[in-house]
Amino acid sequence: MQLSQIADKIGAGIPLDFDDGVVLYRHGNLLEVAALANQVREQRHGQRTYFNRNLHINATNVCVAGCRFCSFARLREDSAGAYTLTLEQAWQKLRDRLAEGSSLTEIHIVNGLHDGLPFSYYTDLLAGLKRIHPTVHLKAFTAVEIFFFHQHFGMPVVEVLQRLREAGLDSLPGGGAEIFADRVRRKLCPDKCDADAWLDVHRTAHGMGLRSNCTMLYGHIETVEERVEHLLRLRELQTETGGFQTFIPLAFHPDGNALRKLPGPTAVEDLRTFAVARLLLHNIPHLKAYWIMLGLKTAQTAQWFGADDIDGTVQEERIYHTAGAETPQGLTSAELVHLIEQAGRVAIERDTLYHVVAAGDGDGRGPQRSYRRSMVAPSEQSEQSEQVEDA
Amino acid sequence: MSVVALAVPRRLTTRPLTFGIEHERVAGFTLAWGEVDACAERLVAGSVALALLPSTCYAALAEDLRILPGIAVTMLATPQSPLAEEQVLDPLATTIDEWCARTGLPFVSWVWVGRPGAIDRVQAEALGRSLELGRAAGGQEAGLAYRLGGQELSGLAALVEEVRTLGGVRQRGLVRLLDCGDGPPALPRSARPGAVARSTDALLADAASGERLSPEDGLRLYHTAALLDLGRAADLRRQALHPGDVVTYIIDRNVNYTNLCVTACKFCNFYRPVARVAHGGAYAAKSRDGYTLSYAELARKLQETVDLGGVQVLLQGGVNPNLRLSYYEELFRWVKANFPLALHALSPEEVSFIAKLEGLSLAQVLERLVAAGLDSLPGGGAEILDDEIRDLISPLKCRTDTWLAVMREAHALGLRTTSTLVFGFGEEGRHVLAHLERLRALQDVTSGFTAFICWPFQAEGTRLKLHDDTTAHRYLRTFALARLYLDNIPNLQVSWPTMGPALGQIALRFGGNDFGSAMIEENVVSQAGAVFTLSAAGIERCIGAAGFAPRRRNMRYQFLSGAGSSAGLVSSAAGSAG
Repeated sequence: MQLSQIADKIGAGIPLDFDDGVVLYRHGNLLEVAALANQVREQRHGQRTYFNRNLHINATNVCVAGCRFCSFARLREDSAGAYTLTLEQAWQKLRDRLAEGSSLTEIHIVNGLHDGLPFSYYTDLLAGLKRIHPTVHLKAFTAVEIFFFHQHFGMPVVEVLQRLREAGLDSLPGGGAEIFADRVRRKLCPDKCDADAWLDVHRTAHGMGLRSNCTMLYGHIETVEERVEHLLRLRELQTETGGFQTFIPLAFHPDGNALRKLPGPTAVEDLRTFAVARLLLHNIPHLKAYWIMLGLKTAQTAQWFGADDIDGTVQEERIYHTAGAETPQGLTSAELVHLIEQAGRVAIERDTLYHVVAAGDGDGRGPQRSYRRSMVAPSEQSEQSEQVEDA
Repeated sequence: MSVVALAVPRRLTTRPLTFGIEHERVAGFTLAWGEVDACAERLVAGSVALALLPSTCYAALAEDLRILPGIAVTMLATPQSPLAEEQVLDPLATTIDEWCARTGLPFVSWVWVGRPGAIDRVQAEALGRSLELGRAAGGQEAGLAYRLGGQELSGLAALVEEVRTLGGVRQRGLVRLLDCGDGPPALPRSARPGAVARSTDALLADAASGERLSPEDGLRLYHTAALLDLGRAADLRRQALHPGDVVTYIIDRNVNYTNLCVTACKFCNFYRPVARVAHGGAYAAKSRDGYTLSYAELARKLQETVDLGGVQVLLQGGVNPNLRLSYYEELFRWVKANFPLALHALSPEEVSFIAKLEGLSLAQVLERLVAAGLDSLPGGGAEILDDEIRDLISPLKCRTDTWLAVMREAHALGLRTTSTLVFGFGEEGRHVLAHLERLRALQDVTSGFTAFICWPFQAEGTRLKLHDDTTAHRYLRTFALARLYLDNIPNLQVSWPTMGPALGQIALRFGGNDFGSAMIEENVVSQAGAVFTLSAAGIERCIGAAGFAPRRRNMRYQFLSGAGSSAGLVSSAAGSAG
């Protein structure tokens, strides 16, 4: 199978298949694969690269699951380094951010699977955050957490989601997907819900009109074939529901966990994963280069390997930092705009649902704090209004 | 004009070199035919000006003989006729294929040899024309090339050293070239004359196939070419220059023997200023953390380097006015007498400062340093080779012309050097292109640069408050453009100490063929915010994961044994760099 045949398929709008994915992963010339991905990326998003202003809250690292790739989790409340924020402490993080005068449009909440907290902890957490900042978008709880709530509190998934939505939940983050293959899950995260359950939570959420993201944790013990299969299962659900907004490849970081003897993926594998994902996931609109994980340099470079998003200002990331990430805890939006524009792209501040908050005009001055919707191409606008209707 | 006598053996492989003369289309030469031994005898006796000799034969001659630059016969593979091989290999017990695979360098089989001053520039150019006519006539054996460029010069130096080691000659392995005035008899590879303005795509395609870019073309690419397009063209160029997907690296140590410095560059966070002490000519550090390493400290560092499999030490300091030429001579002799390490030492700024301090010419300083053991010069201190920028960022440092003059003198003495560029000082595209053009033009004359390295200015803690673009995107674009523009500098080294291992690895797909150094120590950029470390095993993993085979090398880019193994820093490569 030649790259040119794959290019022909892409040109003709034919979805790539499993074999194409493996070919793309194994192809000797990374830049040829990247050129194809970049072509697709530019057709879809032009020169735009998205970012947002967000805050990460990891309310607890106490977790009943013993995933071997995780450096963040602690098994019990009294384990060394274990913490659980009081609701007041969690809310204070938001108040602190607002008191600094920084604005934000999204709070990203991901936690350990804590078996000692009542369900009200989570609903109160969301409701409190909304009280402090009513317009903020709450992207909270991975499918793994939702499934844990379902099991732990004995509620159907749909009811869990319904009650969280009533408390303020706006969308789901894409974490916990890891690698769908059973072989890998049995070895690395046997306590976590399986692929079908993960996908089913998202299916249910999409059915309720909630948007979500999706991820893949790569670079540990999985094979190339298992990566391709993972991507195709995400694509399959997207064909069914259309509810995924963004795919985020997550590189395995080896520090401080049970897999520390594994080397972790290198930058060339990171970029390859972006390019392959952009080409395989034709029906998922966005591809995010999560700078916390990749480092600023690789995240910037990824904007030419298929990515069209660089995540947000973040503030206080814990999960990757306990696994050895050496990136800063947060960036200002000016720093993100700089990084994007120096990559030759146009920086667009978005909200969680990819509505444009502010758009740069590509003259190097970055986005102004005005709602210049007119900067966005008509096709993009219609795509967004569709998204809103769907939601 | 007097007629120049040439001693030439009758060989099919060398026939293109004398073709124009034989067919009386190039005048001014007489040919004296004879066997190799007879040719060498005539040259030594002085009855001919030049002799065409196997490089192994040149290596065995004890006289002060020089090589004609630009032209040689290089064998890319074992030739068809076994006789030809036998002649050029003696006394090496090897085959051409084996030698090339082992060293990673081209096998330079035949060279024009003469005494210093044997011919002038016009005559050298005439020899170039003779070869041109011979190549145009065709008919030569396949698998031969006739250029003596940077990579070939490295091959020649490695070969000469091997022959001399076999013969028990403890002579330095430097290959010195005939000084024929300015001009190289280099084979013309200039930009297409009178070419109409081409599209960016066409420019990139031509550059990828090895066609020379004009400064205007380069500037256009600098401003208009997209990252991936530059990268793909540079990657093709890298493949053509370094077939086999091998990426090299070296184990060495960066020893900064002093941090006292009078140049006070605004971009530097390493140096400590000095003040003249009231009585006598000595200078003292203005701050308490100024240092000059003692021999005891140096010995510890160098022994560690040897123990960790290092083959070289990079000695660079501040420009310390207390240190005279005699200090360096003693230091170099002491290093050479006690450690099996190559000396890659003193950037042009230091050399030109010593010359000023001693009232000597650059050549005199370099000759004495070579006699004391200097093997090669690092290409540091180039920053941007354009005085407009130098005036702004380092007004006390050597000017562009001086930097280039030191390199030219070093190359003329047979030293090989690297070349560098640091961007992000607010310079414009034209400054970057002027820099690249100056390096390329000098390389056309000397072929003395082994490699080019670039990196962005590291601003943290320095006095230079700039907001220039120093991101990964600009690094990769600049690096790829340099691979395309510098068609005569063989190796492009990625700069992982400043960019990090991730970008270093990515840059291998943007024209890089060398991963630089498994540095045991670095003091300069790490003082300005770049804090990355990698062991040899880490480097090999980066190289391997990018799809290349890692090999250890010395400063000439000759493969070393023990390379390619993932044995980490501890191995037995020491000593082979001589």
